[in-house]
Amino acid sequence: MKVREFMRRDLTSVDLDTTVSHAIYLIHESGLASLPVLDEEGRVVGVISERDLIRAALPGYVDMLQSVAFLPSLDQLSRKLREIGGKPVSEFMSREVVAARPDDNDLQVADLMIRRGLKQLPVLDDQKRLLGMVRRIDLLHRLRG
Amino acid sequence: MILTVTLNPTLDKFYWVDELPLSLDKPEEAVLIRSDRSLTSAGGKGINVSTLLSCYGVETVALGFLAGHTGQIILQDLLARGVTANFVWMPGENRTNVTVIAKGREFHPLLIHEEGPPVSEEAMGIFLRKYERMLRRAEYVVLGGSLPPGCPPDCYRTLVQRAHRAGVRVIVHAGGEALVQTIAEGPFLVKPDVREELRLGDLPVSSLDEIVRAGRRVIEQGGQACLISHHITGDILVTRDGVWELEARVSLAAFKNLVGADDALVGGLLAALVRGHPLVEAARYGMAAALAATAVEEKLCLDTGVIERELDHVTVRRQGEG
Repeated sequence: MKVREFMRRDLTSVDLDTTVSHAIYLIHESGLASLPVLDEEGRVVGVISERDLIRAALPGYVDMLQSVAFLPSLDQLSRKLREIGGKPVSEFMSREVVAARPDDNDLQVADLMIRRGLKQLPVLDDQKRLLGMVRRIDLLHRLRG
Repeated sequence: MILTVTLNPTLDKFYWVDELPLSLDKPEEAVLIRSDRSLTSAGGKGINVSTLLSCYGVETVALGFLAGHTGQIILQDLLARGVTANFVWMPGENRTNVTVIAKGREFHPLLIHEEGPPVSEEAMGIFLRKYERMLRRAEYVVLGGSLPPGCPPDCYRTLVQRAHRAGVRVIVHAGGEALVQTIAEGPFLVKPDVREELRLGDLPVSSLDEIVRAGRRVIEQGGQACLISHHITGDILVTRDGVWELEARVSLAAFKNLVGADDALVGGLLAALVRGHPLVEAARYGMAAALAATAVEEKLCLDTGVIERELDHVTVRRQGEG
């Protein structure tokens, strides 16, 4: 089955100058795990994910150790989030955009998600404009029959 | 691609009841009305147009504002219907519009419409950026429905100006001052919503003559075409080239739900336009989609085969011709 047949046609996205605080609000409201970041022409030039935001708010060594178990509390995270809340997402987004094409098939997309450990992918046209999203759960839901 | 704008989306909730009390004005008593059937769907004029276009396989993107749990339900319903959604999320809660339809009173349902959440300047700024971007992909834009609290009355006028700068044709499917202010910008088509008041600007639109006069005024003021419903089974199309009367020859007894028929009219018209039909023929398609919508309990009939069959019931006559 082609991606265009089962993608989620939700174009929720942020701009390069959208604040971190607003991006968190949007991720919460939209139920998406990450949001595409658009330039003025509407091209997807990055992705801001929950993981990017957590990484931005925690000390670098936490990412290296892959654990927050040694932190006394999450106050530090909260304080840091407030500090960076007004900063643009362009400072924290991933600039490498792993994306699907509308004519890719479901197996290609599943393979890409597993290999890259991604929860969702933006679907882009030839001009890198956003057409929709494919979420892992959409694939699972479809495969369930 | 057809862009639709619904600044004040709604969750439409329909209830069917055996009867409504003759008077609800009995303060000493609670009024219990039992309903054995109900339906819920995403709504608002632009959203309904997108929903209909989607069933024709026409690429469409719905734009507007979503808020709260109701916004989540609206979004899920739209996505499930294959509509591409590009909304601005904002605090608050989208409105719910309730329609209660009693047996034998399908033409006169009880309607309860909420006002909707206010739109902040910040949210409007985000919306305008999205709108400008999507205009680059669009062939037509539909501006549909009422303005939410906080929106200036010249909002649609601004949106028409921006669409024209991008070379996109505009259909204004709204009512009141918001619509009137767009006319001088020369929209491709004006479809006035006259449910609350049978007026277009300062002109009445009750009789056929009044509708034609109001339609001609729209053309004089800059609009390219005006489509106004005359009665349940009739529409009048006024353009620079003339006046056309569209008439449906159907039994009123077949009508089950009139809510959404106007939006089906605009959606059907657009679906025909993008397939290359001229405006008058497209209006005939629109009327067929509207008729199909009235014949089902759901707000819209999304079976294109049924809509095509309704075409046989719609006649078009140019005024002045026999």
